[in-house]
Amino acid sequence: MRIFFVTDIHGSNICYRKFLNALKVYNVDVGILLGDLTGKMLIPLVEKAGGGWETTFMGRNVTVDTREELEKLKKTIENVGYYWTHLTPEQFAELKADQAAREALFKMLMLDRLREWIALADERLAGTSYRVYMAPGNDDHFEVDEVIEGSEVIVNCNDRVVMVGEHEMATFAWTNPTPWETPREKPDEELEPMLESLISRIRDVSTSIFNFHAPPYGYALDLAPELTKDLVQAADRRVHVGSRAVAKMIEKYQPLLGLHGHIHESRGVQKIRRTTIINPGSEYSEGILKGVVIILQKGKLKDYIFTSG
Amino acid sequence: MAEEKVFARKASGLVRGLSLLDAFGVGFMNQGLTPSMWVMISLGLSVYTGGNLIIATILSAVMCGIGFSLVWGILGGSMPRSGGEYIYNSRILSPLIGIAESFGNAFVWIMWIYVLAPWTVDPGLVMLFQFLGMPQVADFLSQPLALFLIASLVNLIALFFLVFGIKVFAQAQKIVMALGILGALVILLVFTFTSREAFVQAWNDLAAEYGSLSYDQFLAAAQAEMEAAGKTLPVTWNWFDTLGVMVAGSWLFAYSYCITFIAGEVKRPEKSIILGNLFAILVPAFFMLWLSIVLYRTVGFQFLSATAFVDEALGGELAGYTLPWAPHFVGLAAVATRSPILLFLMALSFILFNFWWVALSYLAFPRILFAWGMDRIGPKWFTDINPRWATPVKNHILCFVLGEIGIALYAVWQEQMSGLSVTGLEIVSVFGVTALAATIFPFVKKARHIWEASPYSHWKIAGIPVVTIGGIVNLIYLAILFYFFIIMPGLEELTIGSLIFYVLIWGLGIAWYYFWVARNKRIGIDVSMAYGELPPE
Repeated sequence: MRIFFVTDIHGSNICYRKFLNALKVYNVDVGILLGDLTGKMLIPLVEKAGGGWETTFMGRNVTVDTREELEKLKKTIENVGYYWTHLTPEQFAELKADQAAREALFKMLMLDRLREWIALADERLAGTSYRVYMAPGNDDHFEVDEVIEGSEVIVNCNDRVVMVGEHEMATFAWTNPTPWETPREKPDEELEPMLESLISRIRDVSTSIFNFHAPPYGYALDLAPELTKDLVQAADRRVHVGSRAVAKMIEKYQPLLGLHGHIHESRGVQKIRRTTIINPGSEYSEGILKGVVIILQKGKLKDYIFTSG
Repeated sequence: MAEEKVFARKASGLVRGLSLLDAFGVGFMNQGLTPSMWVMISLGLSVYTGGNLIIATILSAVMCGIGFSLVWGILGGSMPRSGGEYIYNSRILSPLIGIAESFGNAFVWIMWIYVLAPWTVDPGLVMLFQFLGMPQVADFLSQPLALFLIASLVNLIALFFLVFGIKVFAQAQKIVMALGILGALVILLVFTFTSREAFVQAWNDLAAEYGSLSYDQFLAAAQAEMEAAGKTLPVTWNWFDTLGVMVAGSWLFAYSYCITFIAGEVKRPEKSIILGNLFAILVPAFFMLWLSIVLYRTVGFQFLSATAFVDEALGGELAGYTLPWAPHFVGLAAVATRSPILLFLMALSFILFNFWWVALSYLAFPRILFAWGMDRIGPKWFTDINPRWATPVKNHILCFVLGEIGIALYAVWQEQMSGLSVTGLEIVSVFGVTALAATIFPFVKKARHIWEASPYSHWKIAGIPVVTIGGIVNLIYLAILFYFFIIMPGLEELTIGSLIFYVLIWGLGIAWYYFWVARNKRIGIDVSMAYGELPPE
């Protein structure tokens, strides 16, 4: 059985479409898209006096004058995982001053895009043999689960144990605390009983897959640049930022496979006793779909290859 | 300044932390200020005796400032990852070319270890002990066994600066850079405050002390040797030789690209990488320009070319010349001052810049192998990251072992190993291929989405993307270098050997690629999945 595992595409339209296409290109049986699913930035396309639009994109001020240029810019914004909205200068000023309105708009746009994704999957995957699993990550709001649930072909595997071929897969979206206070994060002490509860539903943990968004603390998949108090990279030092609870569960239960994300920079693989843990990393902002194709055979991990498409 | 129009929500995300200064630091240190000025003067003028250092510096700075800054800055800013040029070439050109070129570059970084670790000893440490009046120690260090042992120690220390994480490296680099620049400034100030008359007098006084040739006698003897070797010692400069000197000058201007290996960690990469490259070219240009002006004024045009010929072509051996050190530019500064502290700082500058080049091999080589491993074009252990130090320790150890083999071979067969010109391989392979990738970057369909999201996609002059212009300027510069490299008389008989060597390395790279493709296919893995294009619609 061949599994294609992807994580942290953060709203990137192009990455999502590539994910759907990759199932056929990579000739896999199962696709797993783990969070974070939603994007982080909203680009206001502000009308200019005398026509045209202006905004700030990728750190630079951008002005477009024609409809064609505008449509091209929108597509680029969507491809890097951002959202856009049309605003007059007055509306922009109002939105800038109103945090609650901004958050509401963000949430609406995030869920709208996710609905589009689900509709696209339902259209393209209907009648195929691909089994596709999706789950949120710590950056995704709780409403995301409902949208995934609405799919006809995609299975929301969050906080469940599902069968992936002959292997049981437990999925967990929460992470230990981050400096950004994201929607799904808790201290490790609180994560531990949640994980124990989830794992207790697995019948044969030795052949199971732990599909946990947070990587285990202290291994090679959770190395991120150290941050200063202002949340700026200290740059010359990488520190472990994974979950101690996840590490404890892997060390304790030793599943066949650990699938993780969360730390985009820590693409890699490592063996913890009999468990192989993998983080395919993410380069969503460049429109590059990072993933890993995993081959399971006779209840064991036969091989894997990291992909970049 | 226009109001920023963008909203961010609360979500995890990092702000990169390496500053423009850090990016500049890596690029600048890889230009190897003091030893590269030595190469430009001694190697350049020994072969092209009528070269004008001032004009060669200005031309190199302009062409590299445009070409290298734009090529490596725009590619790095568009794809700010730390895997080196393999990332750009495999995405824009093809995975096969990316691997073959990268394979060549991995060799290049090892070759730098076996050339530069010994250089830290001789002429580096040898020069220091000669300046300090300890010729016995200097002679001892020149022996093959001593050279091997001390160079191995240099290699080991360089390994330690990187294997324990980049923090140690970053902190040490600041100290090394400060001391290295201080020593270079001392050299410049010594020449600046020494008149021609004072220099000639100092030379003659020293010559009398050691029973060596006076200023005029040295010039005449060197001229005779040059004529015997079929060369002339022109009284003034000419354009052909000036362009030829640019080959040796490439050491000082073409190596800022090392920034690409930390591109993934630089904040505001769209500005920092391009400016880091530019400043890492302009600052050495400033030093070289200053040095050229004061050297011509203090030492004299003909005398400088003569000393370069004696230092490089004759290995410092000229009948009657018995000064305790070679007549390279640091040695000339040592003629003008007898202060032990200044002499120490001048030699230290040479040693430190040389040593840091070796350390930079440990920044690049393990990251190259890591990138291959992730694409399964290499064994899985290439991707093993040590959880304690967050570095690919096994790759570092491999780098050390290969470097040691090279150092051992160099200690015994110095001339042959030096003949396998690293610069030539880099011009053709690393720089040439990457410049080509940059030139066509905006027009390649499979890289279009990267180009469209690039902050430079709107940079155009007369409708032509600036990255294309930069690529073309870079290719012209490289063509000049390659032409003069090919016809360089001092390396003439080795050029064919070098070219065969380059072809062999590229061939090995291609074989390496197909070996891993076949090996993975046998176990059901299609390597093309590692970087094959996925339909975006």
